[in-house]
Amino acid sequence: MSDETTTAKETPASAPPPAAPEPAVAAPAPAPAPAIKSDAPPMSNPYAKDAAPPEGAIFVAEGAKKRKKKPVEVAIRLTKVTKRFGPKTAVDGVTLKVRAGSVYGLIGPNGAGKTTTFSMMAGFLQPTEGVLEVLGYSPMQVDELRSRIGVLPQDALLPGNDKVGEFLVHMAQLQDIPADRREESAREVLAEVDGRDWWNVKCGSLSHGMAKRVQLAQALIGDPEVVLLDEPTAGLDPRVAYEVRQLIKSRKGRCTLIVSSHNLQELEEICDGAAILDRGRVVASGSMSELTASSEEIRIKLSPGPSPISLIRDLPMVKRVEWDEERRELVVYFERGQGVDAEQVIGAVLWVLLQNQARISGVSKGRGLEQRVMELTD
Amino acid sequence: MSPISETRFVAQRELRKNFRSAKGIVLLVLSLLGGTAVTLLLAWVEQLKRDKMPDLTPEAMHAAREDAMTRAFGDPATGKLLADTPEVLLLVFFITIWLTPLLISLLGFDNVSGDMQHKTVRYWTLRTRRSSYMIGKWLGLWTTVSAITLTMHAVIWVVCIVRGEAPAATAISWGLRLWVITLPISAVWCGISTLVSSIFKTPILALLATFAAFFVLWVIFLIGLRWNIDALTYAYPNTFDGFLINKRIDRWMTGLAACIGMTALYVGASSFMFTKRDL
Repeated sequence: MSDETTTAKETPASAPPPAAPEPAVAAPAPAPAPAIKSDAPPMSNPYAKDAAPPEGAIFVAEGAKKRKKKPVEVAIRLTKVTKRFGPKTAVDGVTLKVRAGSVYGLIGPNGAGKTTTFSMMAGFLQPTEGVLEVLGYSPMQVDELRSRIGVLPQDALLPGNDKVGEFLVHMAQLQDIPADRREESAREVLAEVDGRDWWNVKCGSLSHGMAKRVQLAQALIGDPEVVLLDEPTAGLDPRVAYEVRQLIKSRKGRCTLIVSSHNLQELEEICDGAAILDRGRVVASGSMSELTASSEEIRIKLSPGPSPISLIRDLPMVKRVEWDEERRELVVYFERGQGVDAEQVIGAVLWVLLQNQARISGVSKGRGLEQRVMELTD
Repeated sequence: MSPISETRFVAQRELRKNFRSAKGIVLLVLSLLGGTAVTLLLAWVEQLKRDKMPDLTPEAMHAAREDAMTRAFGDPATGKLLADTPEVLLLVFFITIWLTPLLISLLGFDNVSGDMQHKTVRYWTLRTRRSSYMIGKWLGLWTTVSAITLTMHAVIWVVCIVRGEAPAATAISWGLRLWVITLPISAVWCGISTLVSSIFKTPILALLATFAAFFVLWVIFLIGLRWNIDALTYAYPNTFDGFLINKRIDRWMTGLAACIGMTALYVGASSFMFTKRDL
């Protein structure tokens, strides 16, 4: 996957060497492994250089009346997009590409411009400058994108007087889902969010968690090709948040998912790639393994006891070793490629440590998204 | 999906919402009670006239009404036409024309602003063209108001027939005709209300602004009347009741065209602004 960024701060960890053929494109990660094991079905990383266009790159919204559609490989493309609110620049020259079929995260602290970027993708806000395309169309081209894009807005209340069922059926109606399929589609998505019993409940009577799931249901109705989720688990209790995450994971491979969230662990778990925003600019972007450097470094926590650092430095695949005495954390950097990957390095390093009676209390690939974000944002 | 279908779906939903909301039901009931009260009051006045002025013949009454209507509308043909109209129906027609703006402002102030306040509108703008959404909102409001006034008029037709003030055919034909005349005028008021509601994100501000807009238009009308500046009186939609009730086809067509034009202007302006704004 190519993922371009135009940034003031040039900080991407995986920035290609100057001689690279596509300087703006993030370097490919050989055989990237997921940073965190998940229950999701295995799928190829669409951000890998050799990744084939995903099978679902040209989706047809289920239930929606057929119309001519442009085949797309890039689901969302932002080119130097800027959004100003009066004197304040909320988003500043952001350039991004999200490949069809991937799960992409928008990450950043409060005020970074995530929701503004997200709102422009959904057509709620219009860019002050730059070009934004969703499936090859401007987000304002509603007729072209009808039923092809689903959005879970962060803070849009459901209409309080509408019953859940009639609200979803009305949404299906506006999405041009045939009359005989509307109720069925609405009931299907409601069942998917575990809300079968809410059909006749007024939206205004739903709890926060229930409302969030109904909002998610309306985003998924008609099986859209692109689903934008703004803070999908914000304010939810852990159990419901877990269920929502599972639901998002279950959609992986069926559509392009853009997730904006503060919850970095969640994003690391579900996203293939991400862009980190700070003060309206993209400060880093790429595949999750590139962002977390999981294919370039490993981290090992040691309990008090022997710490044979010099022996590890002597390992042939090891480029550099850092030892933090206070935290008792060992960071091993290695040259990927030529048959060397993170798993091999972990094996070799652990072997040396165990041979020397070191007490290992934790092993991780890369530095974790949270640490990466902390490094890149103020 | 065509913009017409989008508009229809939005309007249908609006209609359903209005008649299901407490506000819509209360306004319907108040309109019915008000209409019935006026009818009964008029019947009492009629009885009083008969008791106190037994010498006043129906012909003299007819002549007096014809004279009054001719003065009011500045046209003898219209005066003659309206003198034949059952008195209760004519009174209800004028009440409808003058109180409909109040009904519209109370029903329509949160038409769009209510959806924008908590960003509920976002669920719609993803799926409908913004212009279709706005036209649908206007159409839903207009249909609601028209249905409420029709119900009020129908109650009065029944009272009129039951009390023997007019034969059923006369009451219904005149009643329908007068109700239809209110439609283009209420369409303009609904357009203004929709425009104001689309500007504000806070419904209470939209309500105050709607009242203010209607009041300003009325003041402009009064200024126009006082200093005989016709152009100013035309800014006030109710001015066109005299055109729409007129027997002359050219006057009627002018009134209708003016109402359609003003409605298109207000709804077009609200659609344009809504299309350009961030939600």
